[in-house]
Amino acid sequence: MTTQRTLGELGEPMSNSEFRAVTDSIVANIEQVIEGKTATVRLALAVLLAEGHLLIEDVPGVGKTKLAKALARSIDCSVRRIQFTPDLLPSDVTGVSVYNQETHDFEFKPGAVFANLVVGDEINRASPKTQSALLECMEERQVTVDGTTYELQVPFMVIATQNPIEMEGTYPLPEAQRDRFTARIAMGYPDAGAELAMLDVHGGEDPLYALQPVSDAATVRNLIATVRDVHVADTVKQYAVNLVNATREAPDLRLGASPRATLHLLRTARTVAALDGRDYVLPDDLQALAVPVLAHRIIPTAEAQLSRRTTDAILADLVHRLPLPTDRQQRSPYDTRPSHPEPTDYRRR
Amino acid sequence: MTGRRYVGLAAGLATLLAALPLSTIFEQWTWLIQCIIAVVLVEAAGTLARTLRAPAWGQLVAMLFGLGLVLTLLFPSGHELLGVIPTGGTIVHFGQLLSQAGTGIREMGIPVSDQQGLLFLTALGVGSVAVCVDVCAVALRRPALAGLPMLAIYSVPVAVHQDSVSVLPFIAGAVGFLWLLVVDNVDRVRRFGRRFSGDGRDIDAWEPSPLAAAGRRMAIVGVLVAVILPIAVPGMTTGLLDRWGTGGGGSGPGNGNGRGGTVNLWALLEGELRQQQETDMIKITTKDPDPYYLRFGVADDLSVDGFRNRQPSGRTANNNLPDPRKGDHAGVSYYEGHASVEVVNLNMALLPVYSEPTRLQKVDSTWLYDSRMNVIFSNRSTTNKRRYEFDYVRARFDPAALRRADPVPANSDIRRQFTSVPNVEGVAKEVARLTEGKTNEYDRVRALYDYFSIENGFTYSLVAKADTSGNAMVDFLTKKSGYCVQYAAALAWMVRAAGIPARVAFGFTHGSKHEGDTYTLTSRNLHAWTEVYFEGFGWVPFDATPSTYIIGSVRPGWAPNVDAPENGLPGNGPTPDPGGTVSPGATHDPLDDPRLEGGSDLSGGVLPGTGGSSRWPWYALAAGIVIILLLAMPSARRVLLRRRRMVRPAIPSDVAVSEASDQPRVVVAGGPQAARARLDAHAAWEELIDTLVDFRLLVDLAETPRTTADRLVREAGLRDATADGARLLGRAEELARYARVPLLTTDLTPALRAVRRALGIRAPRRTRWQAALLPPSVLQRWRSTAITWTATVLETVGVWRDALVRVLSPRRLLPGRSGR
Repeated sequence: MTTQRTLGELGEPMSNSEFRAVTDSIVANIEQVIEGKTATVRLALAVLLAEGHLLIEDVPGVGKTKLAKALARSIDCSVRRIQFTPDLLPSDVTGVSVYNQETHDFEFKPGAVFANLVVGDEINRASPKTQSALLECMEERQVTVDGTTYELQVPFMVIATQNPIEMEGTYPLPEAQRDRFTARIAMGYPDAGAELAMLDVHGGEDPLYALQPVSDAATVRNLIATVRDVHVADTVKQYAVNLVNATREAPDLRLGASPRATLHLLRTARTVAALDGRDYVLPDDLQALAVPVLAHRIIPTAEAQLSRRTTDAILADLVHRLPLPTDRQQRSPYDTRPSHPEPTDYRRR
Repeated sequence: MTGRRYVGLAAGLATLLAALPLSTIFEQWTWLIQCIIAVVLVEAAGTLARTLRAPAWGQLVAMLFGLGLVLTLLFPSGHELLGVIPTGGTIVHFGQLLSQAGTGIREMGIPVSDQQGLLFLTALGVGSVAVCVDVCAVALRRPALAGLPMLAIYSVPVAVHQDSVSVLPFIAGAVGFLWLLVVDNVDRVRRFGRRFSGDGRDIDAWEPSPLAAAGRRMAIVGVLVAVILPIAVPGMTTGLLDRWGTGGGGSGPGNGNGRGGTVNLWALLEGELRQQQETDMIKITTKDPDPYYLRFGVADDLSVDGFRNRQPSGRTANNNLPDPRKGDHAGVSYYEGHASVEVVNLNMALLPVYSEPTRLQKVDSTWLYDSRMNVIFSNRSTTNKRRYEFDYVRARFDPAALRRADPVPANSDIRRQFTSVPNVEGVAKEVARLTEGKTNEYDRVRALYDYFSIENGFTYSLVAKADTSGNAMVDFLTKKSGYCVQYAAALAWMVRAAGIPARVAFGFTHGSKHEGDTYTLTSRNLHAWTEVYFEGFGWVPFDATPSTYIIGSVRPGWAPNVDAPENGLPGNGPTPDPGGTVSPGATHDPLDDPRLEGGSDLSGGVLPGTGGSSRWPWYALAAGIVIILLLAMPSARRVLLRRRRMVRPAIPSDVAVSEASDQPRVVVAGGPQAARARLDAHAAWEELIDTLVDFRLLVDLAETPRTTADRLVREAGLRDATADGARLLGRAEELARYARVPLLTTDLTPALRAVRRALGIRAPRRTRWQAALLPPSVLQRWRSTAITWTATVLETVGVWRDALVRVLSPRRLLPGRSGR
C-alpha cells in the first residue's frame, strides 16, 4: 500500500548522532518561525520521516500554514502549494494533458502534487471531487492521468490544513481521505511568553522569508532509511494491534481504526523513537501517538456524541485502560516464528 | 399467592423436610404431627405479620409469639387463661418438661418412646428452626443462610446414633433446602419483571428457566456427591453402605432404626469404649463362681477389609437350643449354671448370654437362634429394658485333650467357611514363623496365642481405629499396640492363616462392679475375643488381649495368662490342674493394679501417654502448628521469591556487547549474557511490582515501566539515589522488554533494596505488617491461579458434557433440525 521504494533508493541509514544532529537542526530552524510549539513541530517532522501525510486542524490564525511552509522551507526540496477553493478542479491538483501544436500530440503538464512537499491550504474548501484527486497520490504516491501513471518523488508529503469551526461552504473530508493522513495535529494557542516573543519576531518582516533550508531531499531519504531500522519488539507490535483492535471493539465508537492506521501508528512510533534518540520503540511512544494518529479516523457513536465525548477523550480512556502485553502473552496466535532463546531456569512462577 | 408468601410456605415445608432425620430417633410419629402444627402456626403468624407489612423484627416477634402459642396448646399445664394465654404455671411446666427431656436424653437409648419432655424439646427446636429459616429466607432474603439451622436438626441424629444415620433423611433435607433456594430465585426473577420464553410466550406458571439450568445441575451433582463420596471413601463403608444395603429388608417400614442385627459390632465396640462417660448396661446375676464372658455377637466374615459380622438367621430360640453335652467329649467337663439378666441400657437385636445357653426364660418367640454363630437375635425386638433368664453349660477344656483333637477335615463346611483368609504377606510369614515345628492344632494355636504377650512388646492402647483390614493387621503386628479389637482380630486371622477355623466373638467381661452374685456390666466392659474350632470340642475361646489391661479378664486352663510369670509359659505343657478349670490367678483383679485405679479398664485413658483425655492438648498443639504453617506459607513463598529474584550470581563482566546508542546497526540480540541481563531486569521489575502490591501502591497494568517508575518517584516521594534507583529499574525493564540489547553490567539489586526500604519506611505500620505476614502479592497470585484453574476445569467439563449431550440427545435424530 505504500511506495515500493527499496532501501537503496532511499539512501544509507545514518548513525544515531548524525540523525539527532540533522533532525535537531530542522526542528530548531522551524522554531524560528513557530515559537513554543516544539512537540507539534517534532510531530510534524515525525510524520514526514514516517513517509506519511499531515493534517493540521485548528482555528484560523494559529499558524497552520506557517508551520507547513516552514517545514517545507527548512528542507531544500521542491515545494508546491495549492490553495483549495470551491472551484478548484482535480486537474489542477494532478496535472492535465494539453495539446501541443508543435508536436501534434498531447503533452502532460504536471499538477501541483509533483513535488516533495505539497502544502494544501484549507483542504476542506474544495469540493469532494477535487479532494478525491489526492486519494491516489497520497496512498500510492503516483498519479494516473489519461491512462498513464506518473510516479511521484521521494520524499513525498502532503501537509493539509483545515478549519474545524467554519462549516459554511466547506466539504468535510470523507473517511477514506482522512484515513490517508497519518496524523492530525492541532496547533493550539501559543502560551503568553511565546506570543510576546512572536510579536517581536513577526513585528517587522516575516521570518519565513529569512528561513534557510538546513537539509535536502537526499538527507531526508537517509533519515527515512534510518527510521525504518528502528527495532520494534514483538510485545510492542502486539500492543499496537491490541490498541487498534480496542478502537474497533469500543462500545463508544461506530468506526474503529483501519489496519492502515496500525501501520501508520507503528511507523510514526519508530520515527518518534528515533527522534528521541532511541533505536527501539516503547509502548510509551504508541500511547503518546494514539490521539494524533488515530483520533481523526474513528467515528464515535451517536450516544457518545450526545454525551459530548470527543474522540480524543475516548482514545485517551482506551489507552489508559488497555493492559500492556507481557512477555508471556505477547505472541499473536498466528505467529509461528520461534521466540528468542531464553534460559528457563528461574522464570518459573 | 404472592411470591413472598410462597417463599414462606417453602420455608416451612423445607423445615419439615429437614426435620425428617429425627424419625430415626423416635419410635412413634407423634413428634411429626406436633412439629407440623408448630411449623404451620409459626408460618401463619409470619405470613400474617407480612400481610400487615410488619418490619423484619415484627415478623420475628409474631413468629415467636406463634411458637409460644403452639407450645402452650400442645403441652398445657392446666393453669392457662382461656387455655391459650400462658401464665407462670405454664413457664414452670415448660421448665419441668425441659428437665424431663434432659433426663430422657441421658437415660434413654434410641429409639425413644413418646416422652412428653422430649416431644416438647423437639417441637420447641423444630419451631425455633422454622422461625430462623423464615427470618433468613423471607425477611432477610438470604435463603442460603437457612441451611445452617436445618443442618442443626440433622446434627441431632448424627450425634445420637452410634455408627451412622441413614442417607434418605439427609436427601430429604437437602431437597427441601434446594427447593427453598429455587423458590426464592424464581421469586427474585418475578420481582425483576415478567419472564418470557424463547418464542416470546409469557411464562406465568413455574417453569424451569434455561438461565437456572446450570444451578439445577450443580445442585443435583452436589447432593449426589454428598451421598456417594462417603461411600467411596474407604473406612466409612461400614456405616452407610451396610445400612443402605440392609435397611430396607429387615425392619418394618418407617422404622429405620437399625434393628435386625445390622449394627456394626466393631463400630459399636469402638464407640462405647471411647466414650468418656461410663454407662451401666447390664446387670447379671449368677451363682457361677467363675463365669466366662457374656457373649452376644460374632464376626466371622473375613475379607481383605477385615472381619465383619453378618446377618444372623435361624429358628425360634425357645425350644431349639442344642445341648453341647450330647455326644462323646473326653477331656471336657461342664458346669451347669443359671443366670438372670436385667438390661439397663443396651439397645440391640442380639441377646447377651453365657456360652452355651440351653434354655431361655421370659424371652418371647421373636428371638431366634443362629446355630452357626451360636448367637440369639431378633428381627423385631431389641434388648432395651428387657429382663430374661437362661440356663447354660460352661465347658472346661483339658489342654491335653485338645492336643489330641483331630484336625478339622479339609472338606468340612466349618473348615471351608472359617479358614478362608485373604492373602496378606506379612501375616502369613509371621504365622509360618511362629507355628514352625508345632505338630498339633492346639500347639499351633497356643504358639500364636502366646505370641501376644507383654514380653513380646505388645501393649494396650485405644488410639487405633477399629479397623481389622489386612493392612491394619500388618500394622498392628509391627507396632504391637492396640486394644481388644486388634488382638481378637489378629489372633483369629493368624489362626485362620494356620488353617484352623476361627472367628471373633463380642460380649462383656464381667467387670469389677459386683454386689454378691450380681455383676453390673458397663460400657467399658465391652470386649472382643477369639474363638477357635477344635474337631470334637466345638468352639473354644481364647482371649489374646493382655490380661493386665482387662478388668475381669478370664484365663482358663487351655488359654492361660501368658504374662503371668509363674504359669502358662509356652512349652510348660498343660497347666497343673488336670481338670483345666481355672488357673490360679487367672482372674485378674484390676484393683491390685495401680495403673487401673478408678475401675476404668478398657478406656486406657488413665494410662500415661495414651490417654484420651490427655490427648487433646496434643491435637490442639498439632492443629495450632498446622494453622501456623498454613498462615506462614504466603510469607515464606514471598521470601523465597524475593531471594530468588535478588540473590543472583554476578554477571561476568567480560561481555562487551556494544551499547546500541551510538551504533544503530543491528547488534545481535541474544547471547547468554544479554538473555541473562534480560532475566535479571525482569526479576528485579517483578520484585518491584510485587513490592508495590504488598505496600498497597497502585499497580496499573496499562502503564509502561517508565511511567510506573516516574509515578512511583512522584507518589512515594522518592528522592536522590532512591529516585534514580527506581528510574534505573524502570529503564532496565524497558530495555529488557523492548530494546535489542538489554542493560548490561549493571547490578540492579542495590537499587531494588533502596526502593524497597524507602517504600517500607513510607508505608503505614499495618500495611508493613501485612506485607510481611500475608503479602497481598502472593495471595493475589494464588487466587488468580485458583480461578484460572477452576475456569479451565469448568470449561473442560462443559466441553465433555456438550459432547456427551450431542451424542446422547435424541434431538439429533430429528430431521430438519440440524441447521438450528
